[in-house]
Amino acid sequence: MSPLTRIRRIVGDQRVVLTLLTVGLFLYFGMKNSAFFSTDFVIYPLLRDGAVLTVIGLAQLCALSIGHLNLAVGRMAAVAALAAGASYQYWHLALIPGLLIGLVTGALLGAITGWMIVKSQVNAFIVTLAMDFALLGFVTFIYVTFTGATAAFTTKPAGMEYWRNTSLHQYCIAGHCGPRVFPMMLVPAIIALILVGFMYAKTRMGRELLATGSNLRAAKLSGIPVDRRVIMAHTLSGLLAALAGVMLAFTNGSFTASIGSQFMLPSFLGPVLGGTLLVGGAVQVLGTFIGTMLTLVIRQGLSVQGIGLETLNIALGLVLLTALSLGQIQKMFTSIRMRGRT
Amino acid sequence: MNTELRIEKVSKSFPGVKALNEVNLTMKGGSVHALLGENGAGKSTLIKIITGVYRADSGVLKTNGEEKFFNSPVEATDAGIAVVHQERNLIPEFSVEENITLHHPPTKFGIVDRAERTRLARQALETLGFDIDLNERVKNLSVAQMQLVEIAKALVTNAQIILLDEPTASITSGETIKLFDVIKRLKESGTAVLFVSHKLEEVYEICDTVTVLRDGESILESKPLSEYKQGEIVDAMVGRHLADRKVELRKVNRSVEPVMQLTDIHTALGHEKISMSLYPGEVLGMYGLVGAGRSELARSVLGLHGISSGELKLNGQVVEIKSLRDALHKHRIGYVTENRKEEGLFLDFPVRKNISVTILSKILKKLGVISFQEEDSVSTKYVDRLGIKVVDNNQLAGTLSGGNQQKVSVSKWLAADTKILIIDEPTVGVDVRTKASFHELIVELANEGLSIILISSDLAEMISLADRILVMRDYQLVGDLDNSKDYTTMSRGIMTAIHSA
Amino acid sequence: MNFKALFRHRATELSLTAIFVLGFLLLVATSHGVLLSRESLQGFLTYLAVPIVIGMAQMVVLAIGQMNLAVGAMGGVSAAIMAVLMADHHYPIWLALLIGFLSATAMGAINGFLVVVTQLNGFIITLGTMTILLGFQYRLVRTFTIDAYPKSLPDFGAKNILGFPLILVIAIATSVILSLFFSRTSTGRRVLATGGNALAARLSGISNGKSVFIAHTLSGALVGIAAIITISSLPGINRSIGGDWMLASFAAPIIGGVLMAGGTVAIYGTVVAAGVVRLVDIARAQYSLDPSIVSLTVGVVVLSTVALSELRRRRSERAREGRKVAA
Repeated sequence: MSPLTRIRRIVGDQRVVLTLLTVGLFLYFGMKNSAFFSTDFVIYPLLRDGAVLTVIGLAQLCALSIGHLNLAVGRMAAVAALAAGASYQYWHLALIPGLLIGLVTGALLGAITGWMIVKSQVNAFIVTLAMDFALLGFVTFIYVTFTGATAAFTTKPAGMEYWRNTSLHQYCIAGHCGPRVFPMMLVPAIIALILVGFMYAKTRMGRELLATGSNLRAAKLSGIPVDRRVIMAHTLSGLLAALAGVMLAFTNGSFTASIGSQFMLPSFLGPVLGGTLLVGGAVQVLGTFIGTMLTLVIRQGLSVQGIGLETLNIALGLVLLTALSLGQIQKMFTSIRMRGRT
Repeated sequence: MNTELRIEKVSKSFPGVKALNEVNLTMKGGSVHALLGENGAGKSTLIKIITGVYRADSGVLKTNGEEKFFNSPVEATDAGIAVVHQERNLIPEFSVEENITLHHPPTKFGIVDRAERTRLARQALETLGFDIDLNERVKNLSVAQMQLVEIAKALVTNAQIILLDEPTASITSGETIKLFDVIKRLKESGTAVLFVSHKLEEVYEICDTVTVLRDGESILESKPLSEYKQGEIVDAMVGRHLADRKVELRKVNRSVEPVMQLTDIHTALGHEKISMSLYPGEVLGMYGLVGAGRSELARSVLGLHGISSGELKLNGQVVEIKSLRDALHKHRIGYVTENRKEEGLFLDFPVRKNISVTILSKILKKLGVISFQEEDSVSTKYVDRLGIKVVDNNQLAGTLSGGNQQKVSVSKWLAADTKILIIDEPTVGVDVRTKASFHELIVELANEGLSIILISSDLAEMISLADRILVMRDYQLVGDLDNSKDYTTMSRGIMTAIHSA
Repeated sequence: MNFKALFRHRATELSLTAIFVLGFLLLVATSHGVLLSRESLQGFLTYLAVPIVIGMAQMVVLAIGQMNLAVGAMGGVSAAIMAVLMADHHYPIWLALLIGFLSATAMGAINGFLVVVTQLNGFIITLGTMTILLGFQYRLVRTFTIDAYPKSLPDFGAKNILGFPLILVIAIATSVILSLFFSRTSTGRRVLATGGNALAARLSGISNGKSVFIAHTLSGALVGIAAIITISSLPGINRSIGGDWMLASFAAPIIGGVLMAGGTVAIYGTVVAAGVVRLVDIARAQYSLDPSIVSLTVGVVVLSTVALSELRRRRSERAREGRKVAA
């Protein structure tokens, strides 16, 4: 490989471009306003939000990997948080068992969704859309019925504050302590990234999910149980959405119906910016993290500049559309190149 | 003025395959021109170039002396060319009359003129003598009725040049007779008609001149049909390049237990009384026209559609195959599909992953982790063995040529150590040389003990490869011939079986 | 056409009509006739107008096999533009409404343009434009409620024609025109042909890109009409306008019998389905249930409708599969 093609390949890697863009923007915002470099007020919360949104991005990525999408990620997160919150409030469970209940709930919801898609053969879009509305009604109904006006479960299990507020700084080895900017909340996100990344890159399950997404009929003819894989993808999507929901509840300090209501756009932004295809068959797990961080840097950067929520939305929408158009242009170029070669 | 369409030295390539190579064809008003050739010979490509769906790489198209390629189907229609494509080209939710008038819906100030539309459509159907409810939605019609609508749709444009790509493939003989009456009338009125069909007796009944394509080249160019005997036309279609090759008769031991035996199989799709046996190391050919039900039989047996009655034995034991997964993992039967792009390959996966997809369970380390080393060695093995031309086994399957793609889709079954391989139309759309190497591969595999069912509409391929040839027509077996591999006698025998039943 | 054929072709519409009538009568009976009082009836009909029109806005995009997630945001921005022009810039009503309507149409056109140029699914494109538009909506109205526009607008919204609210009449008239557009004009037929079978449409000389563009633009124009209805029937415009349009916009056409795959419109079905959804809302109020029940019910109904129609389609397909024995 000549040095030139090597450079071209590195520069052509979407993740490298994204990382450079993220870091560049980060430095730019910091130079314009040094408050942006504040560990406690900007970077720590940014990374903590990044952790939650990365996980929800992964939830969407699982659905995207088979060429489906999950519009109910936010509401699945809400139901899972509801289940966890209720288990703390009424059964006084400890942190981990309650979390597990939440995760199981999310996985179950995902499995039901996948099962409905397989059985009815209806487009995943419409099934998850309807699921979203059904769950929205369900969640609000439960909170209002059980907690009345507060509409929240407020019991905090022991250890919740720890996940919410601490950083790696408290872990020291031989006098060297972890960085203060590194929120503990990133730990579950990193674990999720590693596990999902590992699954898609190395395991049979991941390969079969991608094969299902790449060409459903070929996968079926190759003896892959495609129906079960579709259900599995949605189960994973539900599970990860649940994790994100409980993480957000921990960050917020309470379990409410509004958890997950802002998840839909970020769940697409991360994977799509990171290079995951909408048609299925290819995923970029690490890219999801970088894409999420890019959107957060833009969001935080603009808000430190004193620019309001409305402009943030406009900026994020433009970023999404630009990324999509660029991806499309790139694809056109590759196909022209390919045509030229043969 | 006399209508004339002239094609001179038209060439067209697709990635990996030369579909047309300097093809010539001239058709004139007042005559019916037959365009013949086997599947993949380039007939449909040629029609699509004439009608502006594809753009030719080089060559000339002259319509009534005017030299011009059409850039879109609209331009072709406006120039007086109508076509019945092989694929279904109707809008399912629209009524019969609207579909018939789709090219030029009658309007007044942008409003659809329904009375005029009905009149035009009724007129077209009456001319044809077909009786279909004008207001029925096309999605509720039978396939034969849809075909009639397609024909009416082409006729209603009052075109001077009409191209019919296998118009009789799915209609009854009664309807065919009516269609031929119409074609004769069109001919008398000075229209130029191009007629594509696999049924030679139809061609002789209706056509005046003939062009034969083979592997993208025009072997006979616009010759009077009456000067050629049926056998000569068939020779032109299939060529002697295969017959020239050393064809040896293989010895298949049929005194042992068959590896697969069907007895009186009926399927939900309409197969009746199918009985056949496949012996170890045999290449069992299954010949028939498109739509005879061969792939459908294979898919039913493999558990995709299911069998409604009858007995399926594998190695002497009665079995029930519930799914393709069953077929693969329990019974070691593989199925190389005819639609390799739609069903055979993961185009955006590398070759390596395409080959390993059937053996993932066998190359696992702990915890469901795939052993990349094993994956690499297995895929490299088959890339080498089948001579798949790749840079390395990480090259994406979508960037390979047709023949190499086909080899990849065979590799995944070989890797899974299948005992029976059903190969469906393996050489459609691949060039001559790849075809030959593919044929060698099939014989080689059979010699190694693999039992192969070969489904093909390519007569020469069938005769040079199969040990025995089953002939299927209308979802029934109508012939079972020992293959002497003598081209003349075999082709005659097969044709007799197809047409006498 | 005999009765049997009528039933076969119009099964969805007929059963929906029956459900609507029965549901209405049931509500009348259990409310001891309160629903028939002038005010309740007026309220029922007035708030039926917007669901009908946004259902249409979604339907025209479904007709080409795509979807428009931005209906709510487009409506919100368009209503906000009208309100701001009247309240802050003192534009005459007609001009403000016209500009708002045109801007909604332009947003639809932009969606269509982006879909055609990028060749991407309408879903992801409208997700992007939705985000952008939400930003604009917030920027226009902030956290305020704008209601400082001339009194004649709410008066206009409260007008009645032959006992029916004027805005409902507008909505119905819009549906009739749309129905004529799709059944009679060559443009409308071309859009449906694209949705039904894009390849066949192309071979018949129809520009699929143009059809996609027209469908999205039309969707925008219908959202503009919905915005006009909204601004003239609500006491004020704030940033929550359009926020709850998305479910409603999908629910009406899908329950009404429009296929997700494209190629069909069902205008009468969509209108009646909007009415049925409205009844659920009324029932909720009448039995003082939690508002969440409505979205729960509608979600479940949408899901079962789609599942049922898919089941039917598959059954009829299976019946025609296999050997085509000549009849």
